[in-house]
Parts: sequence; structure tokens; C-alpha cells
Amino acid sequence: MEMAYEDVNRHETQFEMKAMSLSGTHPGFEPRILAFTCNWCAYAAADLAGTARAQYPANLRIIRVMCSGMVHPSLVTEAFEYGADGVLLMGCHLGECHYQDGNEKAQMRSLVIEEVLSLMGLEPERFRLVWCSSAEAERFAAIVRETDEALRSIGPSRFRKNT
Amino acid sequence: MSLKLCSEALSGCSGCEMSLLNTGGGSLSLFDKFEILHMPILMDHKYLGCNGGDGGIHIPKAGVGLISGGIRNEQHLKIAEEMRRQCDIIIAFGTCAAYGGIPAMMNLFEDKDLFRRYYRTAEATDSSLNPTQVIPPFLERTFALDEMIAVDFFIPGCPPHPDSITAALESIVQGKSLELPLLSVCDSCPAKREGKGSVNKIRRFVRNARYQPDRPVSEMRCLLEQGYLCMGPVTLAGCAGMNGGPPRCIDVRVPCRGCHGPVRKGGNQLMDILNALASNGIDTKNLPDRLSSLRFSGAHGRLNWRFAKA
Repeated sequence: MEMAYEDVNRHETQFEMKAMSLSGTHPGFEPRILAFTCNWCAYAAADLAGTARAQYPANLRIIRVMCSGMVHPSLVTEAFEYGADGVLLMGCHLGECHYQDGNEKAQMRSLVIEEVLSLMGLEPERFRLVWCSSAEAERFAAIVRETDEALRSIGPSRFRKNT
Repeated sequence: MSLKLCSEALSGCSGCEMSLLNTGGGSLSLFDKFEILHMPILMDHKYLGCNGGDGGIHIPKAGVGLISGGIRNEQHLKIAEEMRRQCDIIIAFGTCAAYGGIPAMMNLFEDKDLFRRYYRTAEATDSSLNPTQVIPPFLERTFALDEMIAVDFFIPGCPPHPDSITAALESIVQGKSLELPLLSVCDSCPAKREGKGSVNKIRRFVRNARYQPDRPVSEMRCLLEQGYLCMGPVTLAGCAGMNGGPPRCIDVRVPCRGCHGPVRKGGNQLMDILNALASNGIDTKNLPDRLSSLRFSGAHGRLNWRFAKA
């Protein structure tokens, strides 16, 4: 599990951040949100949200991972270093992990992420670990809307170079 | 033809230079190939314009510049910049130059707290005001070398093992680039690993590890598996030198302190060790003094008094 993120996700993160900075033509602050969604629940929920035409902000970028438990904290800190304003880590509800206990690992790791982000001087609201089952399209949309609003009220991240 | 060498010691302790002298027989053949032009820690060389000169810093042109120590004040910064201008290759020599090292733990404190402690509240010091002369103005924190100037090679270690120094200088003589193997201390550690087992809490190192003093390290159980916080998994290998011995701290049955800095350049030792523990189901919230896992790599903004209170 440790090796997979090295090549795939690091480049994806850079790509998504760049794509967002190019499309960020709006005047004023548009938060950039990056979501790591697990293949089995949260990504399926995002898929369903699209099919069901649930409305949520367009400044979300999604990176699909096989399990929320495989997201190394360094992926989250790197996303912030590349200019994300908020990062969502989304997995299956506890007890429903496709790999039995991956989301419990994600929960343990999220404590580490929160601590490192605070050492980096980032507000705790910028990172959220949420559970979202594949049927909860509206919950997915609501989580993104909430995060977007929260980020708009706290403003750009201190690592963000351009606004 | 001999290569010209300049060396500077900035915010460090000169332990790296001790290790350089400690290269033993290797150093004799090595120093045949180098002509040392400038090394204030070993030989006298007036270069700071202190004798009524123009106030500038004068370092001779050289092929190799060896800089130990981080950058803490404006004088360090000016010397580092002059070294960069005058030397073709700059080597960050030791952990302080590469990652901030022990002096970067000061990044957890504001300058005013530092000066108060140093000049007024330290037990062995007569209280006095902050000096207004001699001490150059401080920068906002301790910086690693590569935050301020371009660095070509890194030789981490506190201090670097004489073998690593010899190997690095040899490879420069031969015009090769210097590749550090991306291995962790664990990769070079012979201690016995029996599986993660039942450890769910980290113990403080107030009681000795379990081992047979007369038996080699390879018969001792991994210290992390014994429940001690060993920084081996997140620390670059190399402290044992090139003869294949056990890592130096493990050799004396003490958990690794992390002195070679992160395995991957740009890694964060605090994040990596907490993550390693958390992934194995160990409650990291109970870990006292967790910030000290950055004791050797607190530059690069890792430790910051604004965000973390010591």
C-alpha cells in the first residue's frame, strides 16, 4: 500500500492543483478543495451525485484512491503545499470498509494529519475526514457545500501563492 | 592537480569538522588531493574585514565549499552567500546544514525568550542586558542551508560518519555526483524483528531495553517492538559508516535519535514516525514530547514558535 501513492497520486495532486490555478479566473477568492475519495463508497457517492444532478461547488477536485486508509499524511500536506485551500478525506462508514479496517486506519492517521497541519499554521477547518456511503449522494454534495462555505469564511491558505 | 577547498562553520558545533579530522588514515591520502585555502575552524585566515579593511567578506575562489551549520544570523547568511559565489560545488556538511539540526530546535522559541534565557535567567550566568555589539542581528529563525543558497550535495549526520565524508570527497575528486542511498536506519539495523506484536503504547526510555550485554545486537529484539520510540524507520541510514556495522545508537542499545534527518529529502520525521505508529494502531496522542522527533530537522519551517508551543 505504501508504494502506490508515490508515483500516481503525487503527480495527480500536482496536475489537479495546476488545473485549478489555471481555471481560477474568478475575481475574488475561490477556494480550491481537493478530495481523496475511496473507490467503494465516497467515489461512488460522487458518481451518484453527478448522475442525480445534485448541486455542489465546482471548485472541488477528486482523486480516487482504493481506500481512505492508503492516504499517507504526506499526500495531504503536499496538497496544501501545492496550494489547496481545503482537503477532504472521504471513506466508507466505520464498519463498512471494503478492506475491513482501512477507514479505521484513516481515522488514526487523521489525528497525525491534524497535528502536522497545525504545525504548518493551517486552520483545523481546512482538513476534514468524513464518511459517506455509496448511496449518500446528497450527503456528499452537502459535505462539499459546507466545506466550501467554511473555506470562504476563513479565506485562502497561507501556502497559496496566487489568489 | 589538487582541488581547492574552502570550509565554513556557521550555526553548528564544529563536530562535523572533528569527524572530518577523524577520517584517520583515509584523510592523509584525501588531503593530498585537496588544498585547503580557507577553513577558519582549523587555521587562521582574516577574511571578515575586521582589521580595518573594507568591511566585506573575502573568501578565495575554490572548487569545493564545505559548509557545516545552519543559518541563524545575518553574518551566517552573508558568509554562506559569499561561499556560494566563490565555490563551484557547495556541500551541506552535516545535519545542521542539511536540515537545521539541534540549533533549529530554537525555532520553537521567540528571540526575546531566547535572549532572556541566555542573558538573564540561565542558572550559571550573571544577569545582564542584551548585547548591542558583536552579536550580528538575528534572522527570524534557524534556516537550513538550502533555504538560502543553492546546495549541490548533502552529507547529513550528526556528525557524518568519517566513511561518508571520505566517500563524498573521493567521489568529488573523481568528478562523480554523490548519491545517498535512500535507505532507512532500519534497513541497516541487524536487531531481531519478530513482528509488530502486542505493542500498543510507547514507553519512555527510563528503563533499559531488554538485551544480553555479552551478545551482539543481532540477538536483541527491535527496540520499537520493545515499545521504545526508535526513530529508525524515518531516518536516513549511514551513521554506521561503510563497514556494515549496526547503526551507532542501536550498537550501544539506545533507540535511534534520528540524527541523519528524513529518508527522503523534504520528508517530515514527525509526520512519518507518528504515521508509522498510527498505522500500527498505536495511540499517538499519548506520546510525550512528540515535537522532539524533529530535533534534528526543525528547519524548513517544520518547527515554528507561532504555531507550536514547546
